[in-house]
Amino acid sequence: MATTEEAAPFVQAFRLAQGIQGESALVTARRDAAMQNFAALGFPGRKQEAWRFTDLRPLTATPILPDSAPGIDLDETFIAPARLSVSSFRIVLVKGCVAPKLSCMTGLPDGVWMGSTAEAAQTRPDLLETAFDASDNAGAQPLASLNAAFFADGFIVAIGAGIVLETPIEIIHVTRSDSAVSWHTRNAIILGAGSQATVVESAIGSGPGWTNIVTSVDIGEGGKLRHAKVQNESIEAIHTALIRATVARSGRYEIFNLTLGARLSRQDMHIALAGESASFALNGAYLLRGTQEATIAPFVDHQAFGCKTNEVVKGVMDDRAHGVFLGMMAVRPGADQTNAHQLNRNLLLSREARVDTKPELEIFADDVKCSHGATVGSLDEAALFYLRSRGLDEETARHMLVEAFAAEVIDTADLGDAISSYLRRQLQAWLDGPKNGI
Amino acid sequence: MSNLLEIQDLHAKLTGGREILKGITLNVAPGEVHAIMGPNGAGKSTLSSILAGKPGYEVTGGTVTYQGRDLLGLDADERAREGVFFAFQYPVEIPGVNNMYFLRASLNAVRRQRGESELDAAQFLKSVKEKLKFLEIKDDLLQRAVNVGFSGGEKKRNEIFQMAVLEPKLAILDEIDSGLDIDALRVVSNGVNRLRDPNRGMLIITHYQRLLDYIEPDFVHVLSDGKIVASGDKSLATELEKTGYANLSSAA
Repeated sequence: MATTEEAAPFVQAFRLAQGIQGESALVTARRDAAMQNFAALGFPGRKQEAWRFTDLRPLTATPILPDSAPGIDLDETFIAPARLSVSSFRIVLVKGCVAPKLSCMTGLPDGVWMGSTAEAAQTRPDLLETAFDASDNAGAQPLASLNAAFFADGFIVAIGAGIVLETPIEIIHVTRSDSAVSWHTRNAIILGAGSQATVVESAIGSGPGWTNIVTSVDIGEGGKLRHAKVQNESIEAIHTALIRATVARSGRYEIFNLTLGARLSRQDMHIALAGESASFALNGAYLLRGTQEATIAPFVDHQAFGCKTNEVVKGVMDDRAHGVFLGMMAVRPGADQTNAHQLNRNLLLSREARVDTKPELEIFADDVKCSHGATVGSLDEAALFYLRSRGLDEETARHMLVEAFAAEVIDTADLGDAISSYLRRQLQAWLDGPKNGI
Repeated sequence: MSNLLEIQDLHAKLTGGREILKGITLNVAPGEVHAIMGPNGAGKSTLSSILAGKPGYEVTGGTVTYQGRDLLGLDADERAREGVFFAFQYPVEIPGVNNMYFLRASLNAVRRQRGESELDAAQFLKSVKEKLKFLEIKDDLLQRAVNVGFSGGEKKRNEIFQMAVLEPKLAILDEIDSGLDIDALRVVSNGVNRLRDPNRGMLIITHYQRLLDYIEPDFVHVLSDGKIVASGDKSLATELEKTGYANLSSAA
């Protein structure tokens, strides 16, 4: 296959790439196939419907090649802003590699495996296997292919059947760079039948680097995973992430997604509700200012009888920011009694702010309840006046209304006091004003 | 004693619209309660909106002076911090904003202006306890979103509760009786009466005389077609009840 022009520098870099020490021949073969796939595809283009609204030029203008020296232990203080205030099991990835000194996995109960992808490559190849998908090598997800070719590390959490993990798991991606380099992490979260866990994932950092994350999620029968993700990267950074999940019968996957940082970001979710009565919930918000550009793209595939989905995603755009919501809910033939609802609400705080919203349904079953909707509006002037008439200055009143608008999804997500207050703090910090030049 | 509020020959219109207020002159001294009555379309809500600082109106003539300062030169929030309180005829529902969080932020904004220390959540709760009680407001109302899902009576009691908390020097009460049943009217009126104070002036705007049975004003003014056509003591209100607005308007 021919190599596209923009892929050529990556193909060249791949020849020199080392992979993970001790990885199996199978993994190496997957990398080769994925590289070939990316070489042929190149970066996604605006001619592809799923990428039509996302301006990828910051990513494609010059090749952002993988960091040749990833993974340095940083000081605790670098991750402090992203830490939960309660005790947790924790994996910190510095520049795409697990930093053991900042991580904490002591006291894990029997039946729970948690560690780095690099470690799994050596000791648990079966777990690493779950982090791959056929589309890495042959599909139309160029960024996932690039990730498969170059990943240096990642995190893997595997929870055996019937285990209810009360302590939350924290995953912190932290990056620092002066130049535009990329970090590719490949991750997996596996829940056995009937097990439950909460994962809180944050991405922070400084500099113009590109973080490209691919996470596979597998939820067994009756399992329940709550997964909060806060993208709070530096304003020069690029962040792309893909979650691919399969939910078995009566399993439940809840995602909370908060997008605050990065110059350009995109969060894709491909959720397969594969078993009867499986369910998915997405609550999320993107708050953008300056010239930030962010896309949230959840794709939910209802494959079985009686599955449920509920999505509420809110957007706040100020200045010249641009938000994109691409929500697709597909109902396969035979997936009767599907109950799927999708709502995207947006608040534009300036005349030049922009949002593209596309909530879609594709239904091939008869007996379903599905709805989708989108709204775009500005701040309620009557509410603003009411608050001001009680002595609150305009800025405070506006903050209060924007916070209320966005925080509703935190309340709905109902993640418990510790995580909710953590999310509120992140939101508050955004509202408190431009930082890192946003 | 000098006047708290002096309205001098005030002319105003809706931005881009026709003239609604056609020369209003009115003074409120500390301790006084003035009632402004009038038929629909007389300009009552225009007057209250202009005093509150609501956008969308244009003052075409005259002055409004509050404690010797030009009130019209202040933004709505500055007026509030300076001690002007405006009770809304239709309190606005604000989903997602906790009533207590909002009111504490509001009180602290006013306290900062007065040079007083800010209150934390516990101090705030303590300071409002008695006020909640005399307005017959249940504690859980504080934990709900501002005015969301409140009954008509709850919304109005919440307005007066806010006034009790903010302790203004001048209160403008815009149709606080609208939509209230007799029990709610009694509670709201009792609340207002408890807040009468030798240092506080009040301007009560109402369509109905009924409210003035509960809150006895020192002065009553009748507004008709943008002008005050009659002023007197509370007996004027009783008289109006008998004769109606029609007679007064034609007399003017």
